[in-house]
Amino acid sequence: MANLTSDQAIRLSDNFYYLSSSMLDFRVANWEKLSDDDIKELSDIQYSLLSFGENILALSTTLIMDEVVDSLGKINTITQEIKDSIKDLKNIQKGLNVATGILILGAMIINRDPQGIGSSLKDLFELWKAPLD
Amino acid sequence: MIRRRLNTAQLLLLLGSPIWFFSCINLQTVADYSETSVIGIQNFEQIDYSFLQHCLDRCTDEAIRKYEIKRIQDCDCSIFIEADSVTQVIYRSIEGYFEGLSKLSYNELTNYSTNGVMEALSSDELGPVKIDERTVNAFSSLSNLLLRASTDTYRRKKLELYIEQANEPIQVLIEKFGVIVGTSLKGELRFKRERLYGYYIEMKMNRTLLSDYEKGKATSDYYQALEAIQRKEKELEVFSKSINQIAQAHQVLYENRNKLSVKDISGLMIDYSSNIQDLISEFNKLND
Repeated sequence: MANLTSDQAIRLSDNFYYLSSSMLDFRVANWEKLSDDDIKELSDIQYSLLSFGENILALSTTLIMDEVVDSLGKINTITQEIKDSIKDLKNIQKGLNVATGILILGAMIINRDPQGIGSSLKDLFELWKAPLD
Repeated sequence: MIRRRLNTAQLLLLLGSPIWFFSCINLQTVADYSETSVIGIQNFEQIDYSFLQHCLDRCTDEAIRKYEIKRIQDCDCSIFIEADSVTQVIYRSIEGYFEGLSKLSYNELTNYSTNGVMEALSSDELGPVKIDERTVNAFSSLSNLLLRASTDTYRRKKLELYIEQANEPIQVLIEKFGVIVGTSLKGELRFKRERLYGYYIEMKMNRTLLSDYEKGKATSDYYQALEAIQRKEKELEVFSKSINQIAQAHQVLYENRNKLSVKDISGLMIDYSSNIQDLISEFNKLND
């Protein structure tokens, strides 16, 4: 397996930065509607995403992810979608589910688990595309 | 007969003088460039930030956020230490090359030792870090070259060959170094900014602060901390630009390596030298 290139690692790190910012924006936009537990959970997820992004930058050329080039493209796509619209998401539970999905994806990437990345990414897409109740 | 011999000697002296004159000028150009480059590259040591420092700051920020008071800070920074190790190895190689170039252009023997670099690259010291093949090859070429420069009677006339053989690996290493400092390390600071923003925006949303004084103080603290981070980002950016200029200038030297004895080379190099000097000055101002 080849290493992730510097450019790919930097782009991936960017994604975690934007996802984390989106989580914060979502939390601020819905502050009054969220319970204290939800706020704490989202806060922890947000800071975990920041840590993932920082770790990826430090790892930079050392990530071994040749099998997930396709996944990287999908991560870029979903990051853009979430970044553009999560702030205006009216369904709080969906926001919380998506946040958890992102957290799992991040953990799989840091663990360099190609299978885990694929399945968690699929789950995240399903959560994001799920119809609003 | 005597008169004719003297005339010939005089003629040879007259013919030889311009060659000597131009050679001096142009070796001085290489010497000036390499000396400025060494100063520019060594500014890396003035950067008061590293991957490890970022990790330690992160742990402190997290402890503050969670209000965690422990006897010993529990902070796993292993991957950040590895990142610093790789950066140091690349830095030492680039610095060693330019010091060698400087000494050669002043007709001095080089005494650069490659042992540390090669050991670092061949051992498991760097843990799981895998340096890509292109960079390893660059290290290898450069180290061999430096080793020969320190043992052979490598003198002024070999300067051309030295530049020729070093150009490709030095371009690879400087590019890598630039990405590490100018993108990865600088990129870490963006996360630091976001963490700072999150901390203060939560404070605001939680209505933690009641008095106008507390609110004003918190706002002032936030912007001061933000400015310090942005200043550090700028410093890394300027450093990265300066090493990029050093690489471009080396490329010009390489492309004109057969004309080192032609006066024009100093004209080609002057803009680069001036740019590098300006960036060094800008860096020093930011670093004050």
